[in-house]
Amino acid sequence: MQGKKYIMGLFKDEDQVVSTLSALKETAYKFQRVHSPIPSHKIMAALDLKKSKVGWFTLAGGILGLISGFALAIFCSIQWNLIVSGKPIISLIPFFIVGFEFTILFAVFGNIIGLLTQTRLPSYKGMEYYDPRCSGEHFGVLAACEPTQQDGLKDFFKQNGAEVQIFD
Amino acid sequence: MSQLTYASIDQTVLNTLSTPKRYYWAIVAVLFLGVLVGAACWTYQIFVGIGAGGQNNPVGWGTYLINFVFWVGIAHSGTLISAILHLFRAGWRNPIARAAETMTVFAVCIAGLFPFIHLGRVWQVYYMLPIPSQRLLWPNFLSPLMFDVIAISTYLAVSSLFWYTGLLPDLAAVRDRSRGTRKKIFNILALGWTGAHEQWRHYTRGYLFFAALATPLVISVHSVVSWDFALGIAPGWHTTIFAPYFVAGAIHSGLAMVLTLMIPLRKIFNYQRIITKEVLENVAKTIVFTGLIVGFAYATEFFIAWYSQNSVEIEQFRWRAFGDYRWGFYFMVFCNTLTPLLFLFKKIRTTIAALFIISLIVNFGMWWERFVIIVGGVAHGFSPHAWGLYAPTMIEYGIMLGSFCLFFFFFLLFAKHLPSVSMTEMKETLEHGGSHAG
Repeated sequence: MQGKKYIMGLFKDEDQVVSTLSALKETAYKFQRVHSPIPSHKIMAALDLKKSKVGWFTLAGGILGLISGFALAIFCSIQWNLIVSGKPIISLIPFFIVGFEFTILFAVFGNIIGLLTQTRLPSYKGMEYYDPRCSGEHFGVLAACEPTQQDGLKDFFKQNGAEVQIFD
Repeated sequence: MSQLTYASIDQTVLNTLSTPKRYYWAIVAVLFLGVLVGAACWTYQIFVGIGAGGQNNPVGWGTYLINFVFWVGIAHSGTLISAILHLFRAGWRNPIARAAETMTVFAVCIAGLFPFIHLGRVWQVYYMLPIPSQRLLWPNFLSPLMFDVIAISTYLAVSSLFWYTGLLPDLAAVRDRSRGTRKKIFNILALGWTGAHEQWRHYTRGYLFFAALATPLVISVHSVVSWDFALGIAPGWHTTIFAPYFVAGAIHSGLAMVLTLMIPLRKIFNYQRIITKEVLENVAKTIVFTGLIVGFAYATEFFIAWYSQNSVEIEQFRWRAFGDYRWGFYFMVFCNTLTPLLFLFKKIRTTIAALFIISLIVNFGMWWERFVIIVGGVAHGFSPHAWGLYAPTMIEYGIMLGSFCLFFFFFLLFAKHLPSVSMTEMKETLEHGGSHAG
């Protein structure tokens, strides 16, 4: 990527971003990413993104939690192996509550691990080519080009109604 | 909401983070003083023993448990608003979701303190942890009290993580509009969030799962709290309707607290264009619904007592209506079921002062509901010679004052230092009418 120029087109309108993205596909410029203040269905559809894998982490956490919850309750009860009022030592019905709470807890931990690993946070690398206006009212389309194409990419964004931000 | 723009939302919310005036710090200081009073009372109780409270035989559970259930209840509406209404795509929840979630986190923290206070010998709390002790004792997971430890800890962990996850894009927005030390702090807190499409792709999915997991959790938590009572055999406690009754009551009190907090917040921070009257009206309508559910539960308890023809149960409910704590019962019926019916009148539910006053009345009534249930059950049990009464001591009142001050102390600090309205979700409301739609 060395030697490449990074230019961001800043838009105030989601629909303009969508049309710019499809126009960008027809050019030689390299699309990098879109920064937006909100999650946009239209932009995601235009980028044809795959479904996130976060759910698998959540599911794995949930399964682990269910097993851990039951295992903990069973382990603790067999450490004190005394029958009280004829109740079984391993009473699955009350242990379900422990299993249930652990399922939720571990699924949430899995969800967090999934989010952090998939979004690659915490990381401050993305801040390099980032305009702070993108957390306000602007949608920023970041594209890269050869230094010789810089003016062309600038004009491309301008023609599509964007303000242009050039990163050195 | 039509006049709002992305810029005006940012501006309104960021204005709330301006340097606080002196009177703000004065209020914070007064609340902190209240917290110190509570802490001093607790310290005193630790030194002299649990007898510093008014708990006795037969009433072993007093205000500590009442406040525990009260604060867990307050916590519930935050999750209702942030998770359940999110799943239902109710756009009106967006302006109040952040503050309600924050309320949840603080309320659970405060609720979690009360079992510690109630323990007396608080340093022995490790007995509840599944760790080998020198006597090789392990927690008994057949006990509803152990269910409670697990449920409340899970709820605290999940609601805190849910809250922080929801806050992430807004932390980045504050970072991008700050300078100096604040920028540095928010830079760390925002974890490098840039709103890149890849981040949103995973974030929206993860947020949806959070909401989907928090929904059954919130229902389970207050059900588990209700089983602390319902699994005991005391008359007035041992009933199968407790779980839905407690969950509805929790949401009822929590929604009232949302109004109690939102109305001054709206006025002080000029949030009128964001937290509109329609939003408050929708909360009021939900309060009517939950109020009717708790009213139905109150009536069902009396019906079952009569229908069962169980003399102990009949006596318990006769005493509830006409006995020593009848005023508590009248408060709960009047404040929780009858007063919210005033919200059926549009004029009342669109009058800010009326909304605020009724929300305070419901909070008051819900505290009394917990008093009637918790104290009533054990004070008037099976054997007449074991009947007894209970009155809180000054130490208990001090701790209670401390808990309320701590809650408002935290909330005031939050309101001035973090975005109290979700800027991201408000912008989404303008765009799609939804929130973090995954």
